[in-house]
Amino acid sequence: MNEDANLQNAARQLGAAAADRLDVERLAAVVVERLRNEPAPAARPAWLQPAWLRIAATLLVLVGGGLVVRQVVSPTAPHGAHFVTDDLTDLTADQLRDVLNTLDETLNLGSTTLPEADLDDLDAQQLKAVLRSLEG
Amino acid sequence: MAQPQPIAATLSPAPDAALIAAWQQGDEQAAAELVRRHARALARFLSGAGAPEADLDDLVQEALIRAFRAVDRFRGQCQFRTWLLTIGGNVLKDHGRRAARHKIVSLDEGLEGLAARDGDPHERAEAGEAEARLAAGVGVLPRLQREVFLLRAQQGLEYGEIAAALDTTEGAARVHYHHAVRRLKEMLQ
Repeated sequence: MNEDANLQNAARQLGAAAADRLDVERLAAVVVERLRNEPAPAARPAWLQPAWLRIAATLLVLVGGGLVVRQVVSPTAPHGAHFVTDDLTDLTADQLRDVLNTLDETLNLGSTTLPEADLDDLDAQQLKAVLRSLEG
Repeated sequence: MAQPQPIAATLSPAPDAALIAAWQQGDEQAAAELVRRHARALARFLSGAGAPEADLDDLVQEALIRAFRAVDRFRGQCQFRTWLLTIGGNVLKDHGRRAARHKIVSLDEGLEGLAARDGDPHERAEAGEAEARLAAGVGVLPRLQREVFLLRAQQGLEYGEIAAALDTTEGAARVHYHHAVRRLKEMLQ
């Protein structure tokens, strides 16, 4: 309690000596003269007010952040389309058949399941054509 | 036909609101009277908040100029002096951005001797040192805590008045004051 009183007393004294040294009459004259002679700075346009600038900055951060998150979460074709068939050029017909069968199992296409028997009849060019058609 | 008498020259002291209205009508003496009334309080507040004494006159001037130029935005939500002190806080913040921080006095001693303003030279020296330590402690408080502490403890304002001036709630002002006092005690122990 005593400590609180000491703190308050000290706070009341804070800056008192410096304030006493202030020449108030001279200050009043200087302030009046400045008000008379110095043009008031031009008011900022409304859109340059700090509140609007804060709102604009917030929107920028939100939109920018949203775009970044979108890129990270769904990196859809960021480097252009990539065709599987481009990597299949060197495969033999048997290897292409294996790829198609793997796709068939992976995609579980149901009614559009590729019959293995049909694939056996196709040559390499035809198999590549099937794969391209699967890519859409 | 007699000229209207400037309001500051009337016998009874005009309230601040009347002086403000007179200044808005172009009465320079009303502005001078407002300076006379509030400049010392503003100087104490700024000095307590860490304004270097060498810059005190300039800072007080700047706060007063800003206040007079923005007086149209003063809606009487608090006293003119309280509003002026908050403008002083903004001026000091701008000044702090520009200037290098002034030297912080160490906080290695207690509050003993704080009230000893009169007495022998040794006691006065101790009191001055304690005041410098308190000033340094106030200087490192977060801005809102510092302003609430000074408005309450130095200027003696009510929490409602402080809350209106700082655009916060009375409860928040109390909390800021409480934290400021606790931190100052810790720093000064």
